[in-house]
Amino acid sequence: MLASRKKGIDYWLPKLVVSPTLVIALVFFYGFVLWTTFISFTNSSFLPSYELVGFDQYVRLFMNPRWLNAMWNLVVFGVLFIGICMVVGLVMAILLDQNIRAEGAIRTIYLYPMALSFIVTGTVWKWLLNPTVGIEKFVISLGWDSFVFDWIIDPDMAIYTVVIAGVWQASGFVMAIFLAGLRGIDTSIIKAAQLDGANLFAVYTRIIIPSMRPVFFSAFIMLAHIAIKSFDLVIALTGGGPGNSTDVPAIFMYQFSFQRGQLGIGAASAVIMLMTVLAILVPYLYSELRTPKNG
Amino acid sequence: MAELKIDNVYKSFGEEHILKGISLDVTDGEFIILVGPSGCGKSTLLNCIAGLEDVTTGDILLGDTNVTYEAPKDRDIAMVFQSYALYPNMNVRKNIAFGLEIRKMPKAEIAEEVARVAKLLQIEPLLDRKPSQLSGGQRQRVAMGRALARRPKIYLFDEPLSNLDAKLRVEMRTEMKKLHQRLGTTIVYVTHDQIEAMTLADRIAVMKGGIVQQFGTPQEVYDDPANMFVAGFMGSPSMNFLRCEVTKQEKDYAVQIESQGTIFQLPVDPKQADLSSYVGKTVVLGIRPEQITHVMPHLVAEQYITQVPVKIEVTEPTGADTLILARINDQECECRVHPQEAGKVGESMELLFNMSKAVFFDEQTEARL
Repeated sequence: MLASRKKGIDYWLPKLVVSPTLVIALVFFYGFVLWTTFISFTNSSFLPSYELVGFDQYVRLFMNPRWLNAMWNLVVFGVLFIGICMVVGLVMAILLDQNIRAEGAIRTIYLYPMALSFIVTGTVWKWLLNPTVGIEKFVISLGWDSFVFDWIIDPDMAIYTVVIAGVWQASGFVMAIFLAGLRGIDTSIIKAAQLDGANLFAVYTRIIIPSMRPVFFSAFIMLAHIAIKSFDLVIALTGGGPGNSTDVPAIFMYQFSFQRGQLGIGAASAVIMLMTVLAILVPYLYSELRTPKNG
Repeated sequence: MAELKIDNVYKSFGEEHILKGISLDVTDGEFIILVGPSGCGKSTLLNCIAGLEDVTTGDILLGDTNVTYEAPKDRDIAMVFQSYALYPNMNVRKNIAFGLEIRKMPKAEIAEEVARVAKLLQIEPLLDRKPSQLSGGQRQRVAMGRALARRPKIYLFDEPLSNLDAKLRVEMRTEMKKLHQRLGTTIVYVTHDQIEAMTLADRIAVMKGGIVQQFGTPQEVYDDPANMFVAGFMGSPSMNFLRCEVTKQEKDYAVQIESQGTIFQLPVDPKQADLSSYVGKTVVLGIRPEQITHVMPHLVAEQYITQVPVKIEVTEPTGADTLILARINDQECECRVHPQEAGKVGESMELLFNMSKAVFFDEQTEARL
C-alpha cells in the first residue's frame, strides 16, 4: 500500500511541477500568437474588433513607406550586425585560442557587454556618439579641429551607429561560442595538418573553420533573432530617429499597436516578424534534427 | 626512407624533466618500438622527432640532415595518431590528398597516389565517405593511408591500435607487420602494450622515467633484460621475482628456496650470472612462469632442473596452459603447466624449476647481475 502511494507521488510530482510552466507557455506564448494572428485579419483599430477583413491589414502594411523603410533598415542592420559580429568573434576566438596568458580574464572582459541590457548599451553609445559630448568633442579637444563624427544625427548614417553598438555588445558572446567550438576540435588534428605541411592559416581556413559549421549555424541563429527582435537598443540609442531613419519592425509594431491605435496593422507587422524568424529557424531545426539519422 | 639518429636528447617543461638523455640509432627500414608505462616520455620523444615539440638540448638527425630546429612540415615525416586525427570536414579521398595538395603536387599525380594507397589498404569503397561514417578500424586504415600517401622519410605511429577492440587490434597488428615487410619503411612506433612491442618490432626501446632502459631485439629484451623493470615489463604473465639467499655448492653457486617447509638448492648456471661475491647475501631471482612446469620425465635429469613440490594457491586456466600460483620463500610465484597436469587448489604438486634461463638482480639497485 505504502509502496504504491509512493509510486503515485513519483509519477505525479514531475507532471505537477511542470504543469504551471506548460499552461503559461500555452496561454501566453502560443495563445497570444494565435490571437495576434487572428487580430491581423480583422479591422481592429484602437480596440480589438472581431470583424474579419481578410488580408486588408497586410495590404495596408506593405503600402506604408514607414514599414518598408523599417524592413530595409532591418536588412541593413541584420546583414552588417550578423556579418561583423561573426568575423570579429571568430578572429578574437582564434587569437584567444593560441594558448595566451590570462586567457580567462580576457575572455571575461570580452564577454561582459553581453551581461548589460541593450538599454544600457544604447544609452552609453548615445553619449559616446553624441557630437557635442562624445568622441567628436574629445578628438576636437585634442586639437584636430576639423574632425567630424556625427553619424548619429545623420539620417543616412544613423543606422550604422546601431550596428556599432550591437556589434560591441554581441561580438564577445559570439567569440565565446566560437572558442567553445575551437576547443572541441581534437588538437591532434592540428598536429596532423602541420605534419602534412599546412601553415597555421591553412590549418584554420581548410580544416578548423569548415569543420565548425554547426557552431556557425548556432551563432547565426542567435544573432539573427537578436537582430529581428531588436527594439530596446534602437529605442535607447536613437529612439528610431533622426526622423524615422532608424525605424525597425519592432518599433513600428509597438508604435502602431499601442501609440497610434492601429492594432490591426501592428498585429500584421508582428506576424510578418514571426514569419521572418520562422523562415530562418525552421530550416535550421529541420537540418539539425535529421542529422542523427545520417550519422 | 632514411636513418634516424637521436643524440642525447633532453626535454624539460620548466622544472619537470621528461626526457633525460635519450640516444637511439635507427637504421634504414627498421621497425622500432618505444614501449613503457604511461608517463615514461615515449610520446614526448615521438613528438620531438616529429617536431611538434622542441627538444631542450640534443640533436635529431634524419638521414644526413640535422632537423632539430626545423618545423614539422620541413622534416618530411608522417605520423599516425591515437585518435586518428582525420579531418572531419573532408571525405576520405580529400583526407589522403590534403598533404599532397599542400605540397602542390599536380592533380593527376594526386589522384594516382590516392588510388595507389587506397588499393594498398583496401579502402577504395570508402573514398567518398566522411570520417564520421567510418568504423574504428576503417578510420585507422584511412589514417595510415594519409601517412603512406606522401612517401615520407620516416613514419611515426602514436599508439595507433589502442582505440580498437581486442580482436581487431590483433588483425591490424598482423596487417601492419605485413605492410612493413612489403614497404620496408623506417617506422618509430609508440605503444604501452608489450605484446604489440614483441610481435611487431625489429628492435624495442623500453623506456621508464625519461630514460631508455634497454634497446635491443625483442628476444634480447625478453631473455636478457637489463634490469628488473625491463624484466617485469616485458612478458605476460610477467616474470617472477623471488628474493632468495645465495649458497656455495661444491664448485658452483646456488640459490636457496623454501617450499612447504623444505629447503631446496637451485643450481645457478655460471653463464647466466657470477654470484661469487653474493654468497650468504640475498639476490632477486628472476624466473619466467614458463620455466616452472609440470614434471616431464625427459627433463628431470638435466643439470639445471630441480624438482620441487609446491602448494597450489590459485589456478588460472587460459586454455593452452594453466597458470598456477604457488608460494615459494613466502612469496607468490606463477608457474605455467599443462592443463591436464594441473592439480587442484590446496593440493600439493611437483614442479620442475628450469634455471638455465634464470636471471639475477641486485636487491637494492635492481640492476642485472
